[in-house]
Amino acid sequence: MGKDLIQKSLKDSLFTGIIALALFGPIVGLRTVAKNEVLVVEPKWFVVLLIVAFCALGRFFINIYTYKKEQRRGEPSSLGKAISNFLDEKGAQIAIAAIAFSIIFPFMPFADRYWMDIAIMMMTYIMLGWGLNIVIGLAGLLDLGYVAFYAVGAYSYALFAIHFGWSFWICLPIAGVFAGLFGILLGFPVLRLRGDYLAIVTLAFGEMIRILLLNWYELTKGPDGLTGIPRPSFFGLPFKRYPDEGVETFHTFFGLEYDPMQRIIFLYYLILVLALITNAFTIKIRRLPVGRAWEALREDEIACKSLGVNPRNTKLTAFAIGAMFGGFAGSFFATRQAFISPESFTFIESAIIVAIVVLGGMGSQTGVVLSTIFLIGLIEVFRDFESYRMVAFGGAMVLIMIFRPRGILAKRKPTITMGKHG
Amino acid sequence: MSEKLLDVQNLTMKFGGLIAIDDLTFSAKKDHITSIIGPNGAGKTTVFNCLTGFYKATAGSMFLNKNNNKMDLKKFSDFKVAQKAGVARTFQNIRLFPQMSVLENMMVAQHNKLMVASGFSILGLINSKSYLQKEKEAIEISKYWLDIIGLTNRADDNAGDLPYGDQRKLEIVRAMCIEPHLLCLDEPAAGLNAKESSELNKLLKFIKNDKKTGILLIEHDMSVVMGISDHVVVLNYGKKIFEGTAKETKNSPDVIEAYLGTDD
Repeated sequence: MGKDLIQKSLKDSLFTGIIALALFGPIVGLRTVAKNEVLVVEPKWFVVLLIVAFCALGRFFINIYTYKKEQRRGEPSSLGKAISNFLDEKGAQIAIAAIAFSIIFPFMPFADRYWMDIAIMMMTYIMLGWGLNIVIGLAGLLDLGYVAFYAVGAYSYALFAIHFGWSFWICLPIAGVFAGLFGILLGFPVLRLRGDYLAIVTLAFGEMIRILLLNWYELTKGPDGLTGIPRPSFFGLPFKRYPDEGVETFHTFFGLEYDPMQRIIFLYYLILVLALITNAFTIKIRRLPVGRAWEALREDEIACKSLGVNPRNTKLTAFAIGAMFGGFAGSFFATRQAFISPESFTFIESAIIVAIVVLGGMGSQTGVVLSTIFLIGLIEVFRDFESYRMVAFGGAMVLIMIFRPRGILAKRKPTITMGKHG
Repeated sequence: MSEKLLDVQNLTMKFGGLIAIDDLTFSAKKDHITSIIGPNGAGKTTVFNCLTGFYKATAGSMFLNKNNNKMDLKKFSDFKVAQKAGVARTFQNIRLFPQMSVLENMMVAQHNKLMVASGFSILGLINSKSYLQKEKEAIEISKYWLDIIGLTNRADDNAGDLPYGDQRKLEIVRAMCIEPHLLCLDEPAAGLNAKESSELNKLLKFIKNDKKTGILLIEHDMSVVMGISDHVVVLNYGKKIFEGTAKETKNSPDVIEAYLGTDD
């Protein structure tokens, strides 16, 4: 049996090697260099050999691994299952511990500017992930243009704040409403679409918004971006070293020394609160009839219709609410950066958010946190290696898909149980 | 004499050049089980799809008598037939929500009622007492039906994990949760063994007699059809070839011909 397996795996990895050779041979192996104003082909066979060997060996070990897994099938505990069982049982305690850690995080000795920035970025992605989880995880609508709502939120916040001088707390809901309206706007044409078709149209929608922002120069200043977006204030107290005359600042009001970190810490708490609101809202709405209808629609649309569930309204609410949270995150992004341009809202952002949701395990709130820490953390760790970051990112995704094909946390909890009520 | 619940007149459905239903006229009564039988491809499921709004009939009329209120089923498109007219249906290939629990399946069927009770989610978000009360009632209704089919102890399991026979029964009681006036069942006995079949008969009789819900039944299993039908409509190539009681149907030469062919 074992011998047979090795033979099969070898054959398979040989085949993988041939494919890798066919792919990477021309792409990596043949490089054109300009020599004396003439293009010369310079072969790089050693690199190709390395890549091919890597692919073949990788395939071999995956084969062996999956075979072992097949053998163990039926046995209850593998590592992933143990982890997800652990998270299920201790879910509440872990969540409280995680929130507590997030609250004291800014006062940790190691939490310098660099770490705070990463933490804020991760929180933003977690919030976006939670928002998109409503659309993808619950309603099952694969939305590849989620960044459009993030952009709409950011731009509407920026425009209202710059032109009308309204404060963050007024502009935030406005930005959310705008993004929600755009969610409905996207929702209408795609009501009848499913799966791949839906994904393509949403992808195009994301690009349309970006191109619109790029070309509507009068409103958005196009590629120059919007500058001078007001920084958030602590309920009217600005974070400034030298405030305008007669304006009390945060540090004078509380009698503190001025420190630029105060603003960063405030931003951190702001996004933490926004993210937690998103999470609480999602958890709650999932247990309401509309949330159940989302999941039912994901499971079987025809059955939903036969039970009198209105698929149009149900889908539109999912799009609108998901988009609204994207808009909130966008406003936060705008106020944090004080500068936004269409460059911040490219497809890769959508792809990262979708990856976070899918790798986390569709519909799992904790999964979103874990995969954000894993993916964004990895990108940061590899920051020094620049162009290899995306390789690491892709590698991480491949690994998760091999070991946890349905996402890190794939287990779904019923929204209502008889045990609790019966 | 019971009243006419469903009145179908001259129903025709064409797909391009293909005439799937040809000038079909029949009616179903309130406390009757009306069976539609016929060989494969006779157009039985197409009749259901027209009735429940999944297809738009080419011609003809369909009226439902809902509390002495004549409703034109042609006016309603897909989900509205269930929502407004109270026509529920099941499917030939079971359509449960497999990744959701049995209880959740039952709750989704009570969606419209609960949606209003939750103030379109606003009252629900603030945990309003009136919503929680309605939710509790919905669970009670679910429990009532699950008790009848003996699935209460599996209420929190995924619907997709149930045995096949239980999935069939669950689909039927889930349809009953929308409190329909007419229940359309598309081959509910397909793939059931003899014991499950007789349980199904009992369930359908209970729905007919105790719930006063009219049942329209497509079935191939003759033991089910003959055992419980009050009225049988036989279709062949989209046309009605016979209509009568179960006993009459069994002895009709036309029906025998449609199923078995004729001697040359």
